[in-house]
Amino acid sequence: MTEPAASDRAASVGSAPSFAHASEAELARILDFYEVRWAYEPDTFPIGWNLDGDVVESFSPDFYLPDLDLYVELTTLKQKLVRKKNRKLRRLRELYPDVHIKLFYARDFRMLLLKFGRLALSDELTGTTGQATPPRVAVDEAADDPTIAVILAARDADAESATIGSSAPAARSPETAPVAAAALPSGGAAPALRGRRRGRRRRRPAG
Amino acid sequence: MIRSIDLSTDIGDILLTEEQIADKVAELGRRIAADYAGRNLTLVSVLKGSLPFMADLMRQIPLPLRIDLMEVSSYGGAQTESSGLVRIIKDLSASIAEEDVLLVEDIIDTGLTLNYLVRYLRGKNPASLRICTLLDKPARRLVDIPVDYVGFEIPDQFVVGYGLDYGERYRNLRFVGVLRPEVYTEGD
Repeated sequence: MTEPAASDRAASVGSAPSFAHASEAELARILDFYEVRWAYEPDTFPIGWNLDGDVVESFSPDFYLPDLDLYVELTTLKQKLVRKKNRKLRRLRELYPDVHIKLFYARDFRMLLLKFGRLALSDELTGTTGQATPPRVAVDEAADDPTIAVILAARDADAESATIGSSAPAARSPETAPVAAAALPSGGAAPALRGRRRGRRRRRPAG
Repeated sequence: MIRSIDLSTDIGDILLTEEQIADKVAELGRRIAADYAGRNLTLVSVLKGSLPFMADLMRQIPLPLRIDLMEVSSYGGAQTESSGLVRIIKDLSASIAEEDVLLVEDIIDTGLTLNYLVRYLRGKNPASLRICTLLDKPARRLVDIPVDYVGFEIPDQFVVGYGLDYGERYRNLRFVGVLRPEVYTEGD
């Protein structure tokens, strides 16, 4: 997989990706407003491997802001439901210490809307009610790529937990998948064959 | 008869008293005066929130400075709905080319507005451009921009007063306080 050129990844104003969540679309509008260039889910970082070296868990931050060299992950689920995402973020930071990423929690996003006088939108844009469209990865692509299938399963699990507020297991998450995630030493770099500086990036389709 | 409304009843905690603010503004003024002695200083303030801070700060800087004012639309504002882009509502009234510019802000949280303004002002070729803010809320920061003069670093709470508003109210409070959540969640 070739790494996308910076200019290719930096397209923002004018492009209209299909956002997985309405809150992401709102954040994109805010960034556009302030003329901060962004790319939507341009990169995927492998964060877990099985004993054969295959990637079994990945993390795709929602936005990349090329002028700031910053990734932004937006999660509008309730605080108690973001534990899995926090763990993924910790893992990403361990494996890719030179990657700058900021996590926006539901409260952060709510305060952002409050600042802009759009708090009324908050309930529409947070939690699972803001789920505007299904996850963007095409089903056929997911079927070809077990990594993405795992991510989709994890997303589904997140969403279902938030909706029904149940502790019943939903879809299989990376944690419960029957593959052993390779335990890399804390703070250790990703194996050379498994990623470049920022891991094996995966270019997402535009629509 | 005009009914008086006590805006302070909407405030939970007082974060910064009038005295604390005055002391800090005086301290900032002394530092700025020392740093800019013998230079062509122009203070640029961003309406409307920075107005009280600017008014107090400039009187604490005993230098032959100039002032100028800008106003930019903010996301969600009525003036901006049509374009979807930030817009300069009021531009500088004079050139700042070769001037030492100090941008005076009331609060920096996400850094989005500041990032836009810094790029805009740099395009006008000042001799230097620095930033002074009364309040800094780093927990909200999205765009990291070095800030040269910071009055107070404040916690992640919604604050009003001393120029800061909610729905254009509370700017005239003489202190900075935390707005009670029920004020902005009413009718939510």
